[in-house]
Amino acid sequence: MKMWIYIARRVLLLVPVLLGVLTITFILISAVPTQQRLVSAFGSPKSGTGQYISCPGGGPVLCVNPWWTHGIHTLGLDQPVPVQWAKYMYNAFTLQWGYTSSSSYLVQAGIPGGTPITQILSWYLPYTLELAAFSLFFILILAIPVGNRAAVYRNRPFDQGARILSFSGFALPNFLLASVALLAFVVLSGGFVSICGGHASPLDLWFGLPPSLPGYACPPYSGSPPHWIGSLQETSPTHFITIDALINGQPLIALDSIRRLFLPALTIAYASVAGILRFVRNSMLEVMNLDYIRTARAKGVPEAVVISKHAGRNSLNVTVTVLGLTFAFFIVGFPVTELIFNLRGIGLLFTYSILQPFDFGTIFGTTVVFSIIVVLANIIVDIVYAYLDPRVRLG
Amino acid sequence: MGSNAPLDEKSPTPVAGPRRHPQLDQLKRTWYFLRKNTLAMVGLSIILIFVVVALASFGYPAPGAKMTLYCGTYPTPANNCAQVCTYAPPSPAPPGTCYAVSALQKSLVPPTISFSPLSLGPLPLGSLAPDPSTGLFYNIADGLIKGAPWSLGISVSIVGSGALIGLLLGAIAGLKGGYFDEAVMRFTDIFLSIPGLLLVLVLLAVLSASLGNSLSFLGRIAILVGAFVVTWWPFYTRIVRGQVLVTREQSYVEAARASGASNSRLLLKHIIPNSMYPVFVQMSLDVGTVPLLLGVIIFLGFPIWPSSPFPEWGTISALSVQNIENLVLVCAGVQGATCYFPWWQILFPGLTVFLFAISVNFLSDGIRDALDPRLRR
Repeated sequence: MKMWIYIARRVLLLVPVLLGVLTITFILISAVPTQQRLVSAFGSPKSGTGQYISCPGGGPVLCVNPWWTHGIHTLGLDQPVPVQWAKYMYNAFTLQWGYTSSSSYLVQAGIPGGTPITQILSWYLPYTLELAAFSLFFILILAIPVGNRAAVYRNRPFDQGARILSFSGFALPNFLLASVALLAFVVLSGGFVSICGGHASPLDLWFGLPPSLPGYACPPYSGSPPHWIGSLQETSPTHFITIDALINGQPLIALDSIRRLFLPALTIAYASVAGILRFVRNSMLEVMNLDYIRTARAKGVPEAVVISKHAGRNSLNVTVTVLGLTFAFFIVGFPVTELIFNLRGIGLLFTYSILQPFDFGTIFGTTVVFSIIVVLANIIVDIVYAYLDPRVRLG
Repeated sequence: MGSNAPLDEKSPTPVAGPRRHPQLDQLKRTWYFLRKNTLAMVGLSIILIFVVVALASFGYPAPGAKMTLYCGTYPTPANNCAQVCTYAPPSPAPPGTCYAVSALQKSLVPPTISFSPLSLGPLPLGSLAPDPSTGLFYNIADGLIKGAPWSLGISVSIVGSGALIGLLLGAIAGLKGGYFDEAVMRFTDIFLSIPGLLLVLVLLAVLSASLGNSLSFLGRIAILVGAFVVTWWPFYTRIVRGQVLVTREQSYVEAARASGASNSRLLLKHIIPNSMYPVFVQMSLDVGTVPLLLGVIIFLGFPIWPSSPFPEWGTISALSVQNIENLVLVCAGVQGATCYFPWWQILFPGLTVFLFAISVNFLSDGIRDALDPRLRR
């Protein structure tokens, strides 16, 4: 099979999974009582949120609440379930994901009710992606060399040390790790440097950056696109801080935003390195027992080359697979990390939307986006795997 | 084999006598390798200690009697709460009481502050843990002891039910194959692509919206367990199915089938017992993560417990961390204030959760190594 056919097949398999995820969210949102859905979507009117309210003229007979009828009609809840489902799917694929609630915590966080959810997500998603990329980088540069070495020095102090390190990453609650890291850095750096979009860090000194950059004021939470880069005149075409800063010719700010990603990315990576490191070690152990390794050693290839070239390359396949499998686990750390470090990513958005009163539109919007990230990551992993191991795409 | 038959160091497989209980032999062999693994033994002992504590805690006085709730403030040396709590966002605090600033409000704290070095506070070691929702404090040690049966019980019931569903579904799918297999596997794919913790939170949000406060004490806990089980069965289904695909090709399964065993007999007598071990390893791993995840849920500000404060390890840990963050932030908001850092509040609950998770990890890693001949060489 040619590579592009394989890729096309993998991408096509995305469609049923996506339909399934959307169906699950549809079922879940249908389980929410109508009254709460209406309040979440339209806010509560003065006349009351019930289906029936007392009539304007008074009296014992109740009148139909116009707010209720209008809401039901707007959301399409008066239609049969299959029609609702089809409409839901249509809206999902045409990116009409509804509007944020006007009564949820998001309003307190500075996002006015009635903002389109897709718009909010497009503001908040880039930061999460930057964080994910950075953490992935840390995971790779930690897990592969340490895992390989642990396999080579099997059951010796290095291996035991790596084992304890990786297990402690698993076992330490991420909120504890992140909070203690943040507090430690705050104390070490002698106080808060700037709390907006990140943390105070002694890394300032390493980069030779001033504690606060000229023109870098903390942007307030606001309904308009978050002007990450300081003044309003600057444009924010991609919403990726680093990229936007470079577009605006502000390399210092790009560096600054990368610096702010260090600590959160490290705490996320530390939790995820655990599983991957174990898999790298075990797959390396398996490979090192194979015949061709013995052959290589017998014919006098230096041990370092045997480990790095013969064994290391071949154990990489497993690493790639495991990366895909742990991605769902890895992404679970985002809401907490973004909350603690005050990073405006979709994890923070999710955290805000699950506070009562719930903002169901945003809850389901962020969940779907997280699922899409996981699915896409798995597809990329499959493609890389097929590239590394031709047997997969040929088989 | 006799119980006192000496085990050969190199080949622990007993050779003498008829092999009447091959599974028992394998168990003994596994135990033999496990015993030689120090970390696994350390893990096992810690778990046993926790189990003993959990059992002993039933003899401990009831929460109301023993889990004393303290006054709603963090005492300073002069016990002058107002000094620490000058910063109270919505309105000035009444004198003598303290605001519990929620973690979400921390962005409101003015950013440019320097504060004096943190030092150990005057409180006795291991004494107090806060509950921001009520502003009350309770005894950490009591909470951890009373929390042991809850933490262990909830973890085991979540993982046990998830594994049971996964075991049955995965075994049937792997054995039957065909459309059923395909359907089950696509279904698990869908569930696996929604990040687990998010699905739990979404489920809890939906359920708490539709059921509201009408639930009983045990009902709320059942809902919590259910939400976790919904997200956890797919992992087991996938593991079991992969294992069954290997098992069903073994000659003993073929022999059983040839001698007329029904599908259900094949499943219960041959396939499931022989696919159990990876499930067991995964289960022992997962049990340790439940308190962590419960802590995360609490930390994110989602109230899941029927009563507050609820003694559960992850919960106590999350509340303590929140409290310390708030203390530091509040303290940082007061110019010239001396901040006390009650490190024991995060140390002991955190250590409990950590020890439980890590010992479970050590044990399951030891079991995996003992079971896999390639790894124990």
